[in-house]
Amino acid sequence: MTDIVQFLWPPFLVAICLVGIHTYFGIQVLARKVIFVDLALAQIAALGATTSFMLGHSAQSAATYGYSLAFTLLAAVLLAYTRAWATRVPQEALIGVIYVVAAAAAILLIDQAPQGAEHLKQILTGNILTSGYSEATIIVALYTVVGLLHWLLRHWLNAAKSLIAEFVFYATFGVVVTSSVAIAGVLLVFSFLIIPASIGVMFASSLARQLVIGWTVGIITSAAGLVASFVFDLPTGAAMVCAFGGALIIAGVIYPFLWGDRQRVIRAAIASARWIIAAVLAGSAVQFAAVPRADQPLLDAAEYAVPALRTLYFTRTEETTFADASEYAERYRIEAERLNDLEKQRRTDGEALDDVSVARISSYLKSYGEMRKGEQFVQGEVRARARERMRWSLSLGLLVLALLSAPLAWRRLFT
Amino acid sequence: MVLRIALIAAWFAGAYGFESLGFAQERIPVVTTTTVLRSLVEAVGGDHIAAVSLVPAQIDAEEYQPKPQDVLRLRNARLFVRVGLDYDLWADRLLAQAGRADISRGGPAYVDASFAIAALELRGMSVGPGDGHAHGSGNPHYWLDPKNAEIITGTIVEALMRLDPANAERFEANRLAYLAHLNTKLAEWDTKLASLKAVPIVAYHNSWPYFARRFRLDFIGFIETKPGVPPSPSHLAELVQTMRARGACIVVREPHEPERDVAFVANKAKASIATLATSVGALPHTGDYISMFDTNVDALRAAAAMR
Repeated sequence: MTDIVQFLWPPFLVAICLVGIHTYFGIQVLARKVIFVDLALAQIAALGATTSFMLGHSAQSAATYGYSLAFTLLAAVLLAYTRAWATRVPQEALIGVIYVVAAAAAILLIDQAPQGAEHLKQILTGNILTSGYSEATIIVALYTVVGLLHWLLRHWLNAAKSLIAEFVFYATFGVVVTSSVAIAGVLLVFSFLIIPASIGVMFASSLARQLVIGWTVGIITSAAGLVASFVFDLPTGAAMVCAFGGALIIAGVIYPFLWGDRQRVIRAAIASARWIIAAVLAGSAVQFAAVPRADQPLLDAAEYAVPALRTLYFTRTEETTFADASEYAERYRIEAERLNDLEKQRRTDGEALDDVSVARISSYLKSYGEMRKGEQFVQGEVRARARERMRWSLSLGLLVLALLSAPLAWRRLFT
Repeated sequence: MVLRIALIAAWFAGAYGFESLGFAQERIPVVTTTTVLRSLVEAVGGDHIAAVSLVPAQIDAEEYQPKPQDVLRLRNARLFVRVGLDYDLWADRLLAQAGRADISRGGPAYVDASFAIAALELRGMSVGPGDGHAHGSGNPHYWLDPKNAEIITGTIVEALMRLDPANAERFEANRLAYLAHLNTKLAEWDTKLASLKAVPIVAYHNSWPYFARRFRLDFIGFIETKPGVPPSPSHLAELVQTMRARGACIVVREPHEPERDVAFVANKAKASIATLATSVGALPHTGDYISMFDTNVDALRAAAAMR
């Protein structure tokens, strides 16, 4: 338990800070319809850092930060103009162009100094798990300043839409995104920016309410993602992004229940669920009839969950062959692991294995690998033949199930 | 002004003169995938060969993205040397593009340096649990056991002899001299690392089984469980706990691996970080195969001394 807290508390604090500022910017970004502007700004900042790196400054130096900032400010000027330029071409297209050109230019620069490649990767793929209190203090200070500035200038920023107002918006946003992408990575920052804001905008119309909803959802989802990544042993950033995706789906499901005729919504939901089930079953039936030897996602999943299902269509001999093959495959795997462990242990314990013994172990391992592959091939072949035999009856059965689950008006058809 | 032009002209003449001298001797153009192999080819080929490595020193060879020039280099090569064991798979596509049968798989001038090497940690097709490698053909970092240089250089010399039978004796003599030097060095590294025997070490990526076996080092865990996937918090928590329980005080990192994640783990377990090179030229003072080990051995000792 202490482990969980010790490992997840600092990233959770950082996540709260990130949700705090990004929900606000997300609402602004949604209103301006410049969804991918954060990617463009992060990439431009990375280009700045790369340039500085090329000129011989170290990664953490003030000079590198200065270059990043200068490039971000230049990009902000460019972005401020894009609204005016975007008459026939949508603004998002121009933002996309800024993104790809900045990314490509960074690659070209990096190509001149190989040791920079990893450096560039690290600017854009932060890992929130390894963030700490020192980073939290810096971003709290930074985000407070930016937040205060936006609060003081709120009327001017949102009313005028002048070039200077746009510049101030993009410049401050760029500063925020540059710091957050280095901490949490591009994917997670995009989720922080867009998803809580979208949910806020869905359920409320005033900025204050949108913010409160977005913050609540963002913090709860971050906590859920972090805990899930610990409990299920998953990479943290990816788990959090998927948690945010799930939050958006839940919000989308709740939305019609809150704002609509509940009875009708429930009926529509049941009908569409039945259609989906029917479509999946019918698709599986067709796939099974057409290519019984190919992967059958539905059948494979069912068999994986309940291996006893195989007994339904295997003959006695097939069952024995299948079980034998899987037992042998497992035995070879265990034998190979035992040899691997022995070799590993003897690296430090007891007398060292001589080169001949190691070569022998190596060739045993190779044989075990081949034998195991052979057994797995047998398993696959037995199953494929059994399925070929069941080709027509099983696909017919699936088709009937599909028809039954489709919400067709059966009673009306027969009366 | 006149002086400057004269100087430039002289410099050009010098440079080109050198080049043409080199070509006059008809050096055999050799292309290797990594800088380690280049260094070993140079060691046995001496001034009869001109070797280039496709992957620059500081780049992770497992993630290398070939460039158009690489195809050109292969087209002009008379010998191609690769790591094998699924380490430099990208080379297959380059070879197909270069369209040269003699340096392609099965050709007389194609050298898979992993030939006859006893591969460690073979796990068939499956990915073993948490060992950081998706390779079906065993852990590919076999050059990190200096003793394996005997086999690698043997395979290279064999191929060179086929290409240039006139110099066969020269190549073998070069190889024997190099191996003699390597063996004295090996004894030196052995004594230097004796104090680290069975000291628990953690690494970012599982590049070290061959190195560990030769010098009897104990790598107890890895930060990265699968290449390219960030570690999960429970894996890191477990790793840090093991490190504390077993008193692991060194975290090994390669120069291209993320500093932040390594520093995070080292900080939590109060361990020091040793940055080691797995390719020639990845760090300062790793200009050739032997000096790469010199630098690595010193870095490990320095990290151990800091505890």
